[in-house]
Amino acid sequence: MTVDSIMNRNPKTVPMTETFGGAFAILMDLRIDSLPVVDTNGIYRGMFDLEDIWELLLPRAAMLGLKSLTDLAFVSDAKEAMHQKLQDAGARPVSEFLDAQVQPVHADTPVKEAILLFYKHQGDLPVVDRASKRLLGTVSPWEILQALR
Amino acid sequence: MHEQSHVIFGWNASILASILFVLVYALIISEKLNRAVLALLGAGLLIIAGVLTQEAAIRGVDFNTIGLLLSMMVIVNITGKSGVFQYVAIWSAKRVNARPMGVMVMLSVVTAVFSALLDNVTTVLLVVPVTILITEELKVRAYPFLIAEILSSNIGGTATLIGDPPNIMIGSAVGLTFNDFVFNLLPVVVVVEIATVVIFAFLWRKELVTTEEARERVMSFHEREAIKDVRLLKQALFVLALVIGGFVTARLIHLEPATIGLTGAALLLLLDNFSRDAEEQSKNVHSAFAEAEWVTLIFFVGLFILVHGLEASGVIKWMAGQLLTATGGDFNMTAIAILWSSAILSAFIDNIPFVATMIPMIKAMGPAFGGDQALMPLWWALSMGACLGGNGTLIGASANLVVAGLSERAGQPIRFISYMKSCFLLMLMSVAFCHVYMLLRYLH
Repeated sequence: MTVDSIMNRNPKTVPMTETFGGAFAILMDLRIDSLPVVDTNGIYRGMFDLEDIWELLLPRAAMLGLKSLTDLAFVSDAKEAMHQKLQDAGARPVSEFLDAQVQPVHADTPVKEAILLFYKHQGDLPVVDRASKRLLGTVSPWEILQALR
Repeated sequence: MHEQSHVIFGWNASILASILFVLVYALIISEKLNRAVLALLGAGLLIIAGVLTQEAAIRGVDFNTIGLLLSMMVIVNITGKSGVFQYVAIWSAKRVNARPMGVMVMLSVVTAVFSALLDNVTTVLLVVPVTILITEELKVRAYPFLIAEILSSNIGGTATLIGDPPNIMIGSAVGLTFNDFVFNLLPVVVVVEIATVVIFAFLWRKELVTTEEARERVMSFHEREAIKDVRLLKQALFVLALVIGGFVTARLIHLEPATIGLTGAALLLLLDNFSRDAEEQSKNVHSAFAEAEWVTLIFFVGLFILVHGLEASGVIKWMAGQLLTATGGDFNMTAIAILWSSAILSAFIDNIPFVATMIPMIKAMGPAFGGDQALMPLWWALSMGACLGGNGTLIGASANLVVAGLSERAGQPIRFISYMKSCFLLMLMSVAFCHVYMLLRYLH
């Protein structure tokens, strides 16, 4: 079984020029975790996902790689400050926040490979054409589980 | 001991050992290849070429240094998991009401004290993330805080036997105790730290301002919440106190630092794993040892062998003679030359291979200056120069590079030139203090 047989061929996408606020609103409205971002030729450029939002809200000290602070229990919550961060980012283009770490899969990728990627905590997977890099669709864990049910 | 009879193709052992050493040194400086790989490869080639036998090479490795470094890495990594370093950093920032200049001074002092008692790299790895968090909340640039911590880390590390690798190497090679370092180096280290922090705070005073609201955010931090494991904290502090007590009384109890450190590390591992099941113990112990900086330890092993090759083939003795000729055999001149050359060179090249080379050279000067006891000021000159010289440039010490790496990840890169502009003169000033200190205390 390959990704081709189960992928969503008509996922919601946003262009590179979309703002952070606009993409954020789509995630909230559709209650989805990620959005593929494509350029004017339909070529996949990256995923905008919840991780990008968490990165905006967390202190830099929690994102220093292996030596990050692993605990923020001592930091007081400041809802206003976090709200302000979201507001400040609202007009910036979504391309500034893209998660380049999300590696796309292809239509002929075995589903087992997709399961392995989900096991490694990756979110929805973009499916792109091997040659043109155009976005063909996305695969979420739910589509795999639905197919196996 | 000369092993020249077995050198391949009948080549001269001194020349071969020197070529290999210079080649490895040059490649380390070029930073194109990992220094541990280079040192180990050089050591291997030295044995294969017949300059040293394997037995002689192993005799050249100072396992007291390796054991002490490993033990402190293990102890500090386990202690760090308790959250005590974050606790102290936040506590100290709150003691000065989170005023940026006060926070910078406090975090610098905390870094200096931790660096004196622990490894510099580990100290900055533990203090820098909290510093970045505090400066972010204060809405001030982390840059001056991080630079002040680099400087303090290298200054604090100069004060004790275990504070900085050059001191561990010197102490182990010469048989100097923890107390010897404290009595001889702490006074000048305190003066240098105060002068550096005061000047640095003055230079950066215009950037060290924030709003009342930002200060309140830091003041609302709950430092007690940073302590993640009270039991582990108590165990770690108990073992650390025992180990430092052991270092202080090492001469009385006739134990080498590595024995004290490694036994302490084993005791802490035992206490930390006592109530865990077998699988958990296995994971925990594996993680404790895996977090040691093996690259550094392997680098030391290779380096000791390379330097031993120079020693065994007579190169070191020749170099010591050249240095004595250059200084006209004048003791004071030799001491000052060692202090300044160590500082300037350590600012640009790794001070570990430099010190490893200098140790046998200084030892070889013993007969010229009236025996080992007369050499003591030279050891302090080497220690002060090599440790403080690391502050001169961004590549001068491992801690500098670690802070630069973290700073870059936090979006505030520290550049080589801007660092040097801020710090090279401060480093020269600190060495000038040491120069005066040596004139007053040791040189007549």
